[in-house]
Amino acid sequence: MTPSGGEPLLQVRVRAEPDIFVARKLGREVARAVGLERQDQTRFATALSEIGRVLLAAGGAADIAFLPDGANPPTLWVVMVSPAAAPDAVTQGTAPVRRLVDSLEVSDARFGTVVRLSRRLPTQAPPLTRKRLDEIRDELAHLAPGSPLEELADQNEQLIAALDEVRAQRDELARLNAELEETNRGVMALYHQLSDELEETNRGVVALYGELDEKSVQLRAASEAKSRFLANVSHELRAPVTAIIGLGRLLTDSASDPLTEEQSRQVELIRGSATDLLTLVNDLLDLAKAEAGRIEPEISDVDLKVVFGELRGTLRALATRPEVELIVEDPDPVTLRTDEVLLARVLRNLMTNALKFTERGSVRLSARGSVFTVADTGVGIPEELQERIFEEFYQVPSGVTARGTGTGLGLPYARRLVTILGGTLTLQSTPGVGSTFTVTLPEA
Amino acid sequence: MERVPVLKIGDMLLVSIQVDMEDQTALNLQEDLADKIVATGCRGVIIDISALDIVDSFVGRMLATIAGISKVLDAETVVVGMRPAVAITLVELGLSLPGIRTALNVELGMALLARARFEAEGGGDAGEDDETVAAAS
Repeated sequence: MTPSGGEPLLQVRVRAEPDIFVARKLGREVARAVGLERQDQTRFATALSEIGRVLLAAGGAADIAFLPDGANPPTLWVVMVSPAAAPDAVTQGTAPVRRLVDSLEVSDARFGTVVRLSRRLPTQAPPLTRKRLDEIRDELAHLAPGSPLEELADQNEQLIAALDEVRAQRDELARLNAELEETNRGVMALYHQLSDELEETNRGVVALYGELDEKSVQLRAASEAKSRFLANVSHELRAPVTAIIGLGRLLTDSASDPLTEEQSRQVELIRGSATDLLTLVNDLLDLAKAEAGRIEPEISDVDLKVVFGELRGTLRALATRPEVELIVEDPDPVTLRTDEVLLARVLRNLMTNALKFTERGSVRLSARGSVFTVADTGVGIPEELQERIFEEFYQVPSGVTARGTGTGLGLPYARRLVTILGGTLTLQSTPGVGSTFTVTLPEA
Repeated sequence: MERVPVLKIGDMLLVSIQVDMEDQTALNLQEDLADKIVATGCRGVIIDISALDIVDSFVGRMLATIAGISKVLDAETVVVGMRPAVAITLVELGLSLPGIRTALNVELGMALLARARFEAEGGGDAGEDDETVAAAS
């Protein structure tokens, strides 16, 4: 008797002891499904257990296939194949099992030891139609979805997958690390580059600074040289000019030989020109002195009333135009601690300047605290020129400077003196309306 | 590795086998039970196999071995709760569990052990009676 061909109902692989428990449990379910009685189910399962143990003991794994045969009489076949088990040992070990089943054969096939056993089904069992077999298959598949071995295999696969993932992550990590290192190197390179550039710029700045320093020294030297030149030249010029003036006076002296009217007029012109020249030279000398820092203010309590009185007297001679009113207000605080000579020189300079460029209206000097103002109604100075007039030899280019042209040294000199006194000289002016010079001295 | 618990009830030890026995489980049980017998001085062991629906020759031999070990340690072993189908299959397999006393359930097993001890203390030889009780109950 051999099993007829056809698909096995179920296949189980037995590799270790727990697999035997699974196999015999499945065997019991198969037996129940095909219609064996309870007692036969136990016999059948026990037979599987016995043979399974014998096969395992005799040499290893075995494949078990359940093959129900619907032929007459219907039989449940089981074929167990063990590639390694020795046939003799199996034959001997399975001998007691013969009493539990209807047939048991052990044969030595090329692919290993084959154990076939069969159990007839009772007559009242449902016929094993194809449909019934499919039902049983579904049932069992549902009942035993996975043997421990399959689960083990599953877990193994999962483990391998997990390992692969871990390896992939490690690789990814290594890659990221490498990238990071690269970026790091890039950052470091950038840092070094920036550092170098900064250092270079720094060096440039230092060099520039040194250059500036040098230029500053040169400028100071040039300025000193200029002042020295002015002082020397002025001094050298003064002597001949005074000589001319003196000689002119001698010529017109009553004790000298009488001159014709024409001659005396010309000599007067010579004297006037020489006097102008002397003024210019004196101004230059004063400015040079101031610039050279040779002027030291002598601070004392100054009676402003006296200063203003003297100014009123000396300036009246200059204010020759009837349409220009000269106003010297009484000073508000009567005394101020400053240098009297320098203050008087500054104010005289400003007043002279104002009278020179005012054709009508008024020139007014006033004092409020330590602030002195000289306001005129003259031609005024355009805004863009208001700083330039404090430069030496600068004159507003205008035909309005009707009468005397100045030396162009008065305002620079005044500002220099005010600076020496520790104050400031500023100008507010509107062309055509007038100018206001303000001297602000330190209080007390 | 699974272990089968060994419980002390009164002056007896109760082993209830609920799982499929593997080699290692069986060896562990033998060791555990022997240790427990020595430690407690119990003189009766009840092995409940009512949860097993398949008992093959391996388990049969294991039960015989346990009974032998217990005997050497001066304790009687009673196997209780065997299912009818299991009994039939065992006999058909040619295993009649020689030297192992049996009872139908735990209660009868305990009674059997108590009587055996009483008779042993009374000086009587009750070896044959034990078999009778097991069969009769």
